[in-house]
Amino acid sequence: MNYISKILLATLTSIMLSFTALAGGHYTGPDLSGQKVVMFGPWLSPEQETMREVGAIFEKATGATFEYGGSDSFEQQVMIDLKAGSAADLVVFPQPGLAANAAAMGGLVPLGNEIKQMVLDNYAAGQSWVDLSTYADENGNDQFNAIFFRTNVKSLVWYSPDNFEDNGYEIPGSMEELIALTRQMASDGNTPWCIGLGSGAATGWPATDWMEDIMLRTHSPQVYDMWVSNEMPFNDPRVLEAMDFFGTFALNDQFVNGGSKAVATTDFRDAPNGLFTSPAECMMHRQASFIPAFFPEGSEAGVDYDFFYFPAYASKDLGTPVLGAGTLVAATNDNQATIEFIKFLMHPEPHEYWMAKGGFLTPHKGVDGSKYASDTFRKLGEVLTGATTFRFDASDLMPGAIGAGSFWTGMVDYTNGKSAKDVADAIQDSWDAIK
Amino acid sequence: MKKKNLSSIFSQLLLLFFVIIWIIPTFGLFISSLRDKDLLAISGWWTALTTTKVNEIHRMSGMEDQIKVDDYFIIKGKLFETNSGKKIQNFGITSKRIDEYVVGEIAIFKDKSEVTVDEVGNYIWKSKTEFTKKKGKRLFISVLSPPAFTFDNYREVLFKEGIGRAFINTAAVALPSTIIPLIICSFFAYALTWMKFFGRDTLLAIIIASLVVPLQMSLIPILTIYNDFGALFGVAAKSYPGVWMAHTGFGLASTTFLLRNFIKSLPSEMMEAAKVDGASHYDIFLKIIIPLSIPAFASIFILQFLWCWNDLLVGLVFLDQVPSEIILTAKLKELLGSRGENWEILTTGAFVSMTVPLFIFFALQKYFIRGLLAGSVKG
Repeated sequence: MNYISKILLATLTSIMLSFTALAGGHYTGPDLSGQKVVMFGPWLSPEQETMREVGAIFEKATGATFEYGGSDSFEQQVMIDLKAGSAADLVVFPQPGLAANAAAMGGLVPLGNEIKQMVLDNYAAGQSWVDLSTYADENGNDQFNAIFFRTNVKSLVWYSPDNFEDNGYEIPGSMEELIALTRQMASDGNTPWCIGLGSGAATGWPATDWMEDIMLRTHSPQVYDMWVSNEMPFNDPRVLEAMDFFGTFALNDQFVNGGSKAVATTDFRDAPNGLFTSPAECMMHRQASFIPAFFPEGSEAGVDYDFFYFPAYASKDLGTPVLGAGTLVAATNDNQATIEFIKFLMHPEPHEYWMAKGGFLTPHKGVDGSKYASDTFRKLGEVLTGATTFRFDASDLMPGAIGAGSFWTGMVDYTNGKSAKDVADAIQDSWDAIK
Repeated sequence: MKKKNLSSIFSQLLLLFFVIIWIIPTFGLFISSLRDKDLLAISGWWTALTTTKVNEIHRMSGMEDQIKVDDYFIIKGKLFETNSGKKIQNFGITSKRIDEYVVGEIAIFKDKSEVTVDEVGNYIWKSKTEFTKKKGKRLFISVLSPPAFTFDNYREVLFKEGIGRAFINTAAVALPSTIIPLIICSFFAYALTWMKFFGRDTLLAIIIASLVVPLQMSLIPILTIYNDFGALFGVAAKSYPGVWMAHTGFGLASTTFLLRNFIKSLPSEMMEAAKVDGASHYDIFLKIIIPLSIPAFASIFILQFLWCWNDLLVGLVFLDQVPSEIILTAKLKELLGSRGENWEILTTGAFVSMTVPLFIFFALQKYFIRGLLAGSVKG
């Protein structure tokens, strides 16, 4: 489970390289007229429009037709489809854990050596990406099943520079300062945080990101890895401590917009709006690099909003950890058009197209860095260069029943007032049940 | 006599009360769907006819728009269209005090630049030193917005958000899914009542028994069968014919049962007379049963159609969630997540989806009531 340096290096080098690399030119593909590719994923508006536009590039190049459909309850629906054997040709998994479940059900087709080689050649530190998308099939044999398309960095706090300036707040350089700033804001009569866990059937996941970021800031990466693999039980005091630390923000009515009751009911896509209201409903929002896609129309990076690194403790010797994740594209059948679409996604063109739209990071070495929507996204590189530890999203690596199930619902229960101990016990029970 | 009147007035009042209670949400939805989206976001539909106070943030233009007049660098601009009817009351220059100044007053920024705003949103920002930022500073304004109604929401929802397409998709699902079971079941119901064959009662019992099988249980098995069938003929498992068949299957038992009860209630003398005159079963069915059963057909049509129109689960399982296949309810559910903060889209979308059930209900009310009674009283 040691992706530390590999993935760090991966995204890093790609971002570095992308400043110098030339554009990869245009994708050309075989003639696939009359064939149709259907993709199903968790992206809804506005991301689904971007995905359809990316698909249009493929349509133009090959003559095939492409359709994308998204669902708020993707995690449940894809399992129904896979069980019945009628899943879309391509499935976008938000988590490796869920993709591993799908592979174990025999729902995914191996992508073969040619595509594997493309990942190894084109993605920085390709081997670590290959490892993360290699799963056991229904017979227990490891197969290369998916490619990563669109990665993100999670340890970010978004804010309005103007609001900070008006109130004379400084960007906190350490967790101690962040806690002090939170108290300061509350005593000034401002609300420090906007937190929203709502996400349809996936409600609760934003809180798991909080937990993971806090785990990395309170304990060593080794503890984090043990937590992911359940070598350390979920109800270990160290996990409870992290959960209660999240609680100091989320369960304090003065620290969170709408009070702690609103945390679980606010949609994660609506939550950041509080930064942009008059008067401001909150000052800070902790969320991954994709969130600007949901900011109000017309807001400009670096002017209307900006981000800072979710800081680590100055007093703990844990360096500056960074949390990241990514979405995977897998195929459920191996017809020509479907496989060709995956090859298309390995070409720089779709990456560059989405980069220009914003909210898109990629480990692809061949992309032209000047295509990034703004300097703000380029600044994400600095977050990575400053990192001493990089870890993949824990809930995404845990088995689907936990990472896309009891962990999510547990965090919702926690914000609704259940004790950390009860929540963690319940999650551990659900983990024991699938062992 | 008097007592009866009193109680009937009371029951009428009670009825009126319940009608109002039931109609309020629909009415509110309708009003909301016609309101300007900015107003809708901050005030309830019951305030639709009053002026609403809105807090807005605007960013002034940057250095590119500055002009030099005498000693000053000046940036002029407009915060909103003059004819929008909005009136600014107060404004502010920091998020801490958003209504610090009254319109016409001069506010001074930390960098000594001055700004003033008039009632209709024109601002003048001047400074003795040159403006150097590409983007201007923020202005916070408290605006009185007059009531505003618009069809923009409908335009947006129907054409941009894909509700229009989903509406057509739903119709494409619901109409065949209503007509196919009606055709099949009318034959079947006739056979069950007026044809004598071995095991007829057992067959009827089986149909009634199958009413208790919950639809949710059979979704995945049916989809699996579709896959095998689809693979045989090289068609996709998730398709319109698939969803028609699913709805037909799920509606078969209850439709047959209701129709059979109705047909059974028709006078048997008629069929016997027809038989004596040499009519075949087919003639009897076509020339006697069908014309006499129109009210039953109509009421079953309404029930089945509304069921299919409002269905979400079957549409989610048996159709791909792509623009060409997604149904209205699924689309609304999707919008609820992705556009949850855009109330104008949600209310308008919901109202669009309600139009057909509302229309059917008002147009075919008498059949609807008869449908509820179908087969319960012997004609």
